[in-house]
Amino acid sequence: MSTIVRRTLRSSMFLLGLLALAVFAAACGGSEPTATPAKATPTATTVANTPTPSPTQGPALAAKQEFRTNLVSEPATIDPNRSAFAQEITIAKSVFNGLLGFNQDLSVRAVTAEAVPAVANGGISADGLTYTFKLRKEVTWSDGKPVKAADYVYSIKRMLGPDLAADYASFYYSIAGAEDYNSATAADTSTKATLKDKVGVRAVDDNTLEIKLRAPEPTFIPKMALWPVYPVRQDIIEKYGDKWIEAGNLIGNGPFVLKEWVHQDHITLAANPNYWGKKPALQSVTLKLLADENAALLAYKNGELDMVSVPAGNEKAIMSDPTLSKDLLRFNELTVFAFQYNVTKPPFDNKLVRQAIATAIDRDAFVDKVRNGVGKPAYSWIPPGMPDYDATMGTQYKLDPAKAKALLAQAGYPDGKGLATITFSYSDSTGNRTIAQFLQGQMKDNLGIDIKLDPQESKAYRQFLTQNQHQWALLGWGADYPDPENFLPGLFGTGAGNNHTLYSNPQFDQLSKQATTELDNTKRLQLWAQAQKMVIDDAAIAPLYYRERFWLKKATVLNLKTTGMDGGTPGDFFYAEIAIGK
Amino acid sequence: MGKYLLGRLLWMVPVLVGISLITFIIMHLVPGGPWDREKTLAPAVIANLNRRYGLDDPLWKQYAHMLGGALRGDLGVSYVYQDRSVTSIILQGLPKTATIGLTAFLLALGIGVPLGMAAAIKHNSWIDYVSVQFATIFAAVPGFILSFLLIIVFAVELHWLPTGGWGKPQQIILPSVALAALPAAYIARVARASMLEVLGQDYIRTAHAKGLPQMAIYFRHALKNALIPVLTITGPELAALVTGSFIIEQVFSVPGVGRLFVQGIFQRDYGLIMGSVLFYAAIIAFLNLAVDILYSIVDPRIRYS
Repeated sequence: MSTIVRRTLRSSMFLLGLLALAVFAAACGGSEPTATPAKATPTATTVANTPTPSPTQGPALAAKQEFRTNLVSEPATIDPNRSAFAQEITIAKSVFNGLLGFNQDLSVRAVTAEAVPAVANGGISADGLTYTFKLRKEVTWSDGKPVKAADYVYSIKRMLGPDLAADYASFYYSIAGAEDYNSATAADTSTKATLKDKVGVRAVDDNTLEIKLRAPEPTFIPKMALWPVYPVRQDIIEKYGDKWIEAGNLIGNGPFVLKEWVHQDHITLAANPNYWGKKPALQSVTLKLLADENAALLAYKNGELDMVSVPAGNEKAIMSDPTLSKDLLRFNELTVFAFQYNVTKPPFDNKLVRQAIATAIDRDAFVDKVRNGVGKPAYSWIPPGMPDYDATMGTQYKLDPAKAKALLAQAGYPDGKGLATITFSYSDSTGNRTIAQFLQGQMKDNLGIDIKLDPQESKAYRQFLTQNQHQWALLGWGADYPDPENFLPGLFGTGAGNNHTLYSNPQFDQLSKQATTELDNTKRLQLWAQAQKMVIDDAAIAPLYYRERFWLKKATVLNLKTTGMDGGTPGDFFYAEIAIGK
Repeated sequence: MGKYLLGRLLWMVPVLVGISLITFIIMHLVPGGPWDREKTLAPAVIANLNRRYGLDDPLWKQYAHMLGGALRGDLGVSYVYQDRSVTSIILQGLPKTATIGLTAFLLALGIGVPLGMAAAIKHNSWIDYVSVQFATIFAAVPGFILSFLLIIVFAVELHWLPTGGWGKPQQIILPSVALAALPAAYIARVARASMLEVLGQDYIRTAHAKGLPQMAIYFRHALKNALIPVLTITGPELAALVTGSFIIEQVFSVPGVGRLFVQGIFQRDYGLIMGSVLFYAAIIAFLNLAVDILYSIVDPRIRYS
């Protein structure tokens, strides 16, 4: 060949070789798993749920008590009244304290209130319509001013105001006058003012808050432990307007203060020097806003973060990594994923078809093979960790291809003949794609049915679903508060807002109506259990798996208390308890 | 020249209005809206949100309102980053994106131009082949692969540089390098080709014949002419670099405006989308104008009447 061609080849080979070497060297660096792990995959370490002794008596603590983790995306706001997303709530939970809060087992405890209102202590009236909260007198804002009942009144009425357009306002419609006030979107100022006055929240005196409901609501107590009813400072909001949430302006009554918020980069919380309660062991919490989870993982390996999420797909690699597998942090979330049928569209208007399909899904294989053992197979809609979790619920749908085929034949479609085309719609993401492909494989293998996959862009999918245009879709639900009431009527009641199965069962509606106002807790939970059974037996949905958090946490992070309802990061209900060891 | 400038500036207004109209229409045609969430919101809450952001007005009214604001310099508020003004959001992120963009631009010029020139001057030598290979490889390697490669090599393995973020001068290096790769390769190719063309011109041969030293020929006579095609691509390159790369900013977690626009689209943040589009369109229009003016300065043959 000619000199020129030979020279070109030589130099390109040389360069390609160099590049390949660089790539090879980088890829085979210490952080990647070796081809044959030294021993079998270690069993996952779960953080102990029992509280550890006070850090001062325990292991030696580091001089710098700084906890660094990744919040992934920028919170849209940290105004508790307007917060709706996990990242926002994470911040609100540390910077504010509400009347009530949660223990690690998700039972309700009193925080700024002296006690959880109950009929026994007079906090709840006999008819269940009046709630009286006695406030602890020592609660102060971070600038030293006392937190008064009036602050809660202001906050709740602000949250219910139509002008604020708070996402979670509808959760508090049980308060007398709340729904009317919140629905007065187009009313004039004076009408709005009148409706605001009619809202059943008032300060009896500086330390007593009284809330009147329009009907008894047994779940009102856990709802009062949520963030939309944290107290906020009227004078600060009026002074700074929308900028009141910026660092330096924001005043809260929680264990931490907002020290710094560099938008899109990081948020720093500092310990509140004037905190009215037990001071946190940490001096600061740095929440980075690293959008790329792979880059965040590299930052963790580089020592820049103390806790990080494991990007989907890397679970196996992490579990077989000798150093990283020791840092594993795994715990169950109160989140369940299911396949939701549109029961008005054929063939899913036939209950037998729905049941057949539910019995043809190998959930164990899904968790083991597709999710690498992260998560648990789901047969019931209500996940473990909830008060009335029933492990026997829905087990009639355990994988049984013979039974599934029989059900399908019984429905009038032997071997799937004559079945209308089935299209499975979902929001296109890496995780969802694996679920969809798994489902497609299962249907083919176990029932011989071909289904079409319909991935859609996230928001387009949401609109598609809201308008009930789907035939079969993916459904995920995480608890807002730890009660079956959050998982059932809103999703399966006739015409309910989140009901995209279009399931309509008058008996279910009747049970819901009873359970929503039943003050006897045992009886109430029984009613919900019956309601759930109806939904499962009718196969309105086919549950797939319960989600599990899969994070990495350095051994120096002590006293991290996780719950199934953790938001942006694990342990975010209890940042005040974390300490950093040596 | 003055009349030309004035004409161009006046033309920008209908162009920007046209862009805003097209964007507005497409934005509202795309399915899904800012309030479509994982958990459906109560109807009263949606009504409240629509009212708060003027989304319950008829479309033409919304557009007129937005345009009126833009003409007064008010780019609106973000729907997702609750009520922060789009201007403040952009101004917060722009310095960071621009820093990385400018650094990448200078790197790209600083590597691309000399490499291209050297390749043309030492045509068919090993310098030529190395520079062509370099240009091809770095034009082909995708941005996110290069970014992760750089992070793994320089941050995780060698611990020379941080993995990302903002605040320290070291954090500018890796993203700028990753961002400069493609423009550098492109500029090198263009510089080489145009220099080769210039070196074949008659006046260069005349200079040789007159006995001028090689360096004088290259730097005084050839360079300026060879740079004109490079200048042509500089304008759009600079505009692209300053408005930022979504991927680079995502991987290196640079809190700039590169991801802002794309995120705004995914979240259907109408306020942010419109504000960003107008802002970017204005920047690109101005940069193109600047490049055209520069032409007439660099090349006396080009005159605007």
